[in-house]
Parts: sequence; structure tokens; C-alpha cells
Amino acid sequence: MPTISLTVNGKPVSAEADTRQLLSVFLREQLGLTGTHIGCDTSQCGVCVIHVDGKAVKSCTMLALQADGADVTTIEGLASEGEMHPMQEAFRDHHALQCGFCTPGMVMMSVVLARDNPDLDDDAIRHGLEGNLCRCTGYQNIIHAVRAGAKAMKG
Amino acid sequence: MEKFGIGQGIRRHEDFRFLSGKGTYIDDITHDGMVHAVVVRSPHAHAKIVAIEAQSAMAMPGVLLIVTGEDWTREGFGTMPTKSAVQKKIDGTPLNQPPRHALAIDTARYVGEPVALVVAETEMQAVDAAEALDIDYDELDAVVDPVKALAPGAPQLWDDIPGNFCLDFELGDKDGTQAAFASADHVVSLAIENNRVTAVPLETRGAIASYDPETENYLLENATQNVHANRATFAGDVLNIPEEQLHHIAPDVGGGFGAKNSAYGEPALILYAAKRTGRPVKWINQRGESFLSDTHGRGQLSTVELALDKDGTFRALRTSTIGGIGCYCWTVGPFTPSGGAARTQGGPYNFPAMYYSSKVAFTNTAPMDPYRGAGRPEASFQTERIIDYAARTLGFDPVELRRRNLMTPDMLPRKTPMGLDVDSGNFPEVFDRTLAMSDRAGYRARVAASAEKGIRRGFAIAPYMECTGGGPKEFAGVDFGRDGTVTLRVGSQSTGMGHETSMPQILAAELGIDFDRVTYVQGDTEATPIGGGHGGSRNLEVGGNAVLQAAREITAKGKRIAAHLLNSNEDDIDFADGAFKDVKTGQSIAMDDVIEASFETGRLPEAMDPGCLDTGTVYEREIITIPNGCHAAEVEVDPETGAVRVERFWAVDDFGKIINPLLADGQVMGGVAQGLGQALLEEIVYDEDSGQLLTGSLMDYALPRADDLPEMKIAYFEDAPTAKNPLGVKGAGEAGCCGAPPAIVNAVIDALAPDGVRHIEMPLTPEKVWRAIASAR
Ligand code: FES
Ligand code: FES
Repeated sequence: MPTISLTVNGKPVSAEADTRQLLSVFLREQLGLTGTHIGCDTSQCGVCVIHVDGKAVKSCTMLALQADGADVTTIEGLASEGEMHPMQEAFRDHHALQCGFCTPGMVMMSVVLARDNPDLDDDAIRHGLEGNLCRCTGYQNIIHAVRAGAKAMKG
Repeated sequence: MEKFGIGQGIRRHEDFRFLSGKGTYIDDITHDGMVHAVVVRSPHAHAKIVAIEAQSAMAMPGVLLIVTGEDWTREGFGTMPTKSAVQKKIDGTPLNQPPRHALAIDTARYVGEPVALVVAETEMQAVDAAEALDIDYDELDAVVDPVKALAPGAPQLWDDIPGNFCLDFELGDKDGTQAAFASADHVVSLAIENNRVTAVPLETRGAIASYDPETENYLLENATQNVHANRATFAGDVLNIPEEQLHHIAPDVGGGFGAKNSAYGEPALILYAAKRTGRPVKWINQRGESFLSDTHGRGQLSTVELALDKDGTFRALRTSTIGGIGCYCWTVGPFTPSGGAARTQGGPYNFPAMYYSSKVAFTNTAPMDPYRGAGRPEASFQTERIIDYAARTLGFDPVELRRRNLMTPDMLPRKTPMGLDVDSGNFPEVFDRTLAMSDRAGYRARVAASAEKGIRRGFAIAPYMECTGGGPKEFAGVDFGRDGTVTLRVGSQSTGMGHETSMPQILAAELGIDFDRVTYVQGDTEATPIGGGHGGSRNLEVGGNAVLQAAREITAKGKRIAAHLLNSNEDDIDFADGAFKDVKTGQSIAMDDVIEASFETGRLPEAMDPGCLDTGTVYEREIITIPNGCHAAEVEVDPETGAVRVERFWAVDDFGKIINPLLADGQVMGGVAQGLGQALLEEIVYDEDSGQLLTGSLMDYALPRADDLPEMKIAYFEDAPTAKNPLGVKGAGEAGCCGAPPAIVNAVIDALAPDGVRHIEMPLTPEKVWRAIASAR
């Protein structure tokens, strides 16, 4: 099995990866980062979204080997020094999660949406989250949370 | 210290864990030496299993075990019986129940039915071996449509069940209803299909089984919403072992909505595999497998008839339904199209007479079991659709026709013709509040604005009345630690609804202690002696009241301790705001001091021992409650494309006392989203000939996405309290699925009324809407 080296949540890591292993599975099984979830087999649900070189990526759409040399952030790396990221705070404040299964992907996607467009309106948020399914919340509180989280990120 | 009361929108305890990626869902768990199981599923809707050649797959790298129907028979494992609340046909004989094993024994009867289990060191090895497993099938004719299944000459699923007939059912006054129909001024009738859908919790089903040969005990960690009842099935019915030998745990569960209620076959298979291999065995469904093998819901074909007088007064309602349940009775499959859909027929309207009848058929499809609402959404949709249809065909204003026929508070309490005890509610007031919220004054202008763009706009209001369900008993246990911690154990279970917050909230409010001190334990057969899990919007109604009862037992004991410490008479002690007070002397002692004293023999009255505040109690509901409310929708329809947009949505719900409005909002919004999904997007479709599932992935089965939903406006009506339980709660979980589909569908029909469209079957996809417009023109 080939070995890949990458930066995950700020730390350099090297690990073996099966040639047909998806990045989502690699993160979960090789690195034990189970906050990145898997909800489908057709890249439709978005629960696996992480940041790869600053972009929001469905980690089930990449092979682990393709992440060789990349800078990856997962939900586990979003909070800094025990302080929740403003987007995480906003999700809690607005009751934007129920079962929590979509939540890591939803938060990771939202952070990038807010970073790339600080003046997000509700339509832009709803459109931006089209690739992230949630079966529990009806999305409304997620929209409110992203709006608030984006504002907080602007500072 | 944070003190919270009942009724406050406390933010959730569990969120830190979920938001930081520290949730522990089934697939996040690993054990030393753990191996992996893959289920081999039937590719055919109906086929004899002629032979399974397992030897070459067994020889593949890493393969440890292959389990087939032959092995299962040899081991003598039992079948899984249905626990449907309806068990008899109309003639009083038992329903027809085929034997359901954990996997197909000699015949597969739906695409996706487990046929074998392959266990290997790694998941990839198990997948490879499963693909290589050589199974010889002899294909048989299949039938997926319940109407066709009941027709003469249909392919027969079971040798000893003629006509694929499971049971028939009736409820209400048949003759009285017939008489009302005979003498009514108007009768309208409509064939209505309630589309077959599936729950699609974002976490798929999965489990890990372990076996300890020394104690002969099993551990099953399972993404289920019902550990106790399913343990009874796996241990008692299948494995023939005492229940105590199976420890059943649900870790964090990523949604359920009914699809994780049942006792499925896969956990039983891996329990056996764990014993055989001596290793912990993990099985996780792929999404595609879940579409094939999760239970589906709704899927009812009905003829609904309404009798009414010239002035629009309702005289009678009659519904006859055909429901398919797949090839087994599954866990409670026969109940939904029978008792489940019957009870809440007629909604909150004043019907002097009602009659419901149904026939339930076996089909070559995935099993049917509860999906959020299990019969009540069907009843609500049937009632609201026929009323709307009557209004349009007879020329009544749909809003007025509804308003004038609602039960009024002076009619309550009453037993409906369907036998439902309606104790409380103010349906006209809830209706009026919904109307007031929905800005009727501005409606004309909005219609005009839509028309400018060439778009039709429509509005509909849908009052609903449903009922709770699920296990009638619940256990709550409270343990106090010397370090000040409080552990609350309850047998009901959250799959996302936030019990870790709402249940400690009740306890903390009652005891006057800090909410953050309470640790919550659920989903564990060793933590509570009984447990009803999750289902039927039962948690606050049954579990919440168990917590309240435990808290009251604790304060009663606390009074004795306080009296002892204050040298008072126990009868003079009052408990309020976290303190025991002697009403005569004015002396008081805090709950925390009493808790501390409860550990010290010297500070306790004679008959009490250290640790005496620890409490375990069972609450039993006497009678189910009646959640109700009113939903309304405004939609835009593009007549050129048939595309529907739900523009606005309003809900006023009477759930009784609201414990935590933040969590209640979540239940309403999530339920409305699923209701919108059923109304506009979702449908399970099987190919009529081959019985293949055509909607077997998230590419083919359309779940609502963020931009399908409007901003909903939600309010609660709390002025009609129920005395059915001490907390005064009515249940919140399933309301959205009852209110949203009729509100949305009837709003689309309203928008297209000028085009002459009278009915479109759900889901209202652009194609169906476009065709309806085209054929009406
Ligand atoms: S797991 Fe569903 S999109 Fe990646
Ligand atoms: S919170 Fe359960 S899927 Fe989004």
C-alpha cells in the first residue's frame, strides 16, 4: 500500500492508503477522525464535507491518494484552543442540529460559504447548502445559524 | 449556576459533542479484533434460492464465515413475530402471518432481502467475497402493487396464504354512515393515493455484535430507536436465550423517523456471526442498501367519500383503503393501513358518522413499518383532500367550509366516531390564529404580483388532529452521587430530538437544581429495566411524565429528611424553588443540603438509609393524548414548467404545555420538511414487471434540500391544557407530517383551480403538475 503525507488539522501526518480508499474513509479509519461522516454512496448528501487547501470538498469524491501533500481541515480541527468556531457557536445558539449526523459537513460547508461571501443573504445560504442534506431540521434554523455565524466571522 | 424552568428554550446539552465531531455513532465505534460483515441481498423481487455455492468465496483472502438460510435452519433459530396492535381480521380470525427469519431461507421475496452474510477481516474483503458468492436463483413472477396482489391470478407469495391477503379491518359505524350518505344532499368521492416514501435518516442502519464465550453473554451496539423491544425479539424469539444475556445499546443515532424502530434481520445475523467467529462483528449499510431494505411507509390507495348537506354541514365520512406491506408483517406493518390510519379519520371536524375499512396485501417489496405518523398523516391527508375537493366541485369557499364544520370547545370532551377520546383543544381558535398569521389581507396583492410574472398563486389551510402512540409505560431512574452529580436514566430514546436536554430540564426544574449537573443516560437495556424507545411522539408524554414522577418521589423523600433536620413535622414542610421550608417556623433548608444529608446515616431519620434519594419509577399513560393544530401554505406554480414553490408556510400547533420551545420548533420544522418532501418530491417507485426498485439512491429519490423550503412561521396554542398527564403535554413529533402535505397540495390545487385542475396525486412533481394543467385545458 502506498503511503501519503499531508497536513491534517495543522499537523503533518503520514499513513498508508489503499489505492481504492476514499479520503472520507481514510480520515475515519486511518486517522481516527470520525467527525467526518459518511451518509451515501453517490456523493449526494454532503455529511462528509471537509476543507482541502481551503476549499469545501465532499471527501467521498476524492481518493485518499489525491490528498497527498494537501492541507486538510476536518470538523475536529475547526475549534481553536478549546474555543468553538463562531459558526459552531451559531449552530448551537439557533438549534441548527438535531441528530447531528449532517452537522459536521453542514458546518464545514457554511464556514467556506461565509468566508467567501461575508454578505450572505438567505437565498445565497439556501443555494450554497444545496449539496448538504439534513433530514431532521427542515433547514430553517441552519439558515439562521449561518447568517449569524457569518456575521460573527466578520467580527 | 444556571437554573432553568419548564417552558424555556434552553440550548442543547448534546450540541457540543455533535458540533465538534465527537458524537459516537455506530460506525465510529471499533473494538479490538473487530471483523466486518456484508449482507448479500437478493437481486430478484421473487426467486427460489436453488443453491448457494459458498466454498470458493470462503477460500478468498480474509473470509471467516458465510451464513446462509440453510445454516439458519440448521441452527433452529426462531422467527420474528409481528407486534401489530391489530392482530385479527374482521371475522375475528388471526391475521395471516408468514414466518419471518433474519434472512431468506429458500425463497427471496423482495429485491434487497438478505440471502447470506459474509464475514471477513476487512470490509473490502467481505465486499469482494460477497460479490464472488455464487447463488443460483430460479426467478418467479413478482407483484409489487397491492391492488394487483389481491386480484385473482396474481403471483402468490406464500403457499399457505391464498390471495396474498394479510387482513381486513373496519372501524366506525357502517350502517349509520351508510344511512347518512343515503340521506345527504351531496356526496363526493375521490380516489386518493398516499405515495409510498421512506424515512432516509442520514445515518444508515448498522450494528456491532460481540460475544463473550465465558459468560455466554452478547453485546449488541445498534443504530436503533428501540433497544428493549428489539432485544426481546432477538433474544427471546430468534436466539432462544434469556433476555439478560443480550445487552442492547444504542449509541448516538443519526435520525430514525420510524425506520430504525423495527427488529431487522441483520443484527440477528451478526449476533450469530460474533459467536461463530469469536470476534466482534460490524455491519454498516450502504445508502443503496438502505433504500432497498429499510422499512418504507404510507403507500395507501383509498377511496374517500364525504356526505354533506346543502349548507355545507358534514354528515359522514367514509374511507376504504388498500395497503401493501411487503412480503412479511414485519414488526408492526399491518397496523398502519388498519388501526393506524383509521383512528384519526375526520380530523378535528364534527362528523356525526364515520366508517373506515381496509384490506392489507403482501407484495414483493421492501417491508412497510411506521414512518413518522404511521397512519395519522394518511388520515389527515384523506380528510383534507376530500373536503377541498368537495368545496371545489360544489362551490363552497374551502376556508369557510372547514371553519364551519370544526368541533367547538363546548362539544368536548367527546369520543369521536372512530373511538378517539378528544379531551381538550380549541380548534376554531387555532384555525383563526393561523388565518390571522397568514396575512390574508395582503393575499390579493401577492396573487397579482405573481400573475405579473405569469405565475399562479394559491393558498390552503389544513387543520389536523392526531394522537400519540408507542409504548404506554416508561421508566425513569435518578441516582445521586456524593460529588454532587445527578444521573437520570430513562427508557425512551432520542434519535436527535434532544432528550439529553429536555428530560434533565424537567428534572432540574422540579428539584430546583442546576441543569448542568444532570447526566443523561438512554438507549441501554442495562440502564433501565424497561424502555419504550422512540415512536409515536411519546417521549414527553410518557418519558417526561416518568421523570416528573421520579422528581416528585424524590421531593417527597426530601420532605422527610428536611423535617428531620429542621425538627419539624413532615406535614408542615413545603417544597418550592429548590428549598424545603417549614411553613410554621419559617426555617428552610436547600435541596442541596438535603441531598448531602441523604448520604449520612447520622443526619437521616431512622427508617432511611444513605443513598435513599435514589429513585426508580415507572409511569404508565392511561390514555393517549390528542396533539392538534392548523397549518397553512401559500404556493407559486409556474404553468409553463409545472414547477411548484412553497412560498410561505404557517403553523399553529396545540401540543399542550411546551417544555422547551426551541426543541418544539425543531420538531415542527423537521416534520413540515418531511411533509413537504412527501407532497412535492419523494416517492418510492418499483418497476411493475421486474419488481426492481427504481428509486434506490439519493439521485433518484428526491429529499428536500435547503432551497426547497420556505421560511416557516410557527406559533403554539397552550390555552387548552390536557389533564391526561401531569405535565400537560400532548406530543409534538409527527404534527408536521399531518399538516404540511394537505396544506401544500390543496394550495397547488387552489392555484390551478382557474385552469380547471381538480386533483393531482402526490408527489406533485413538475411533470405531473404540467400534465394536469395540459389535460385540464
Ligand atoms: S458521503 Fe454523501 S456526499 Fe460524501
Ligand atoms: S441534524 Fe439530523 S440530519 Fe441534520
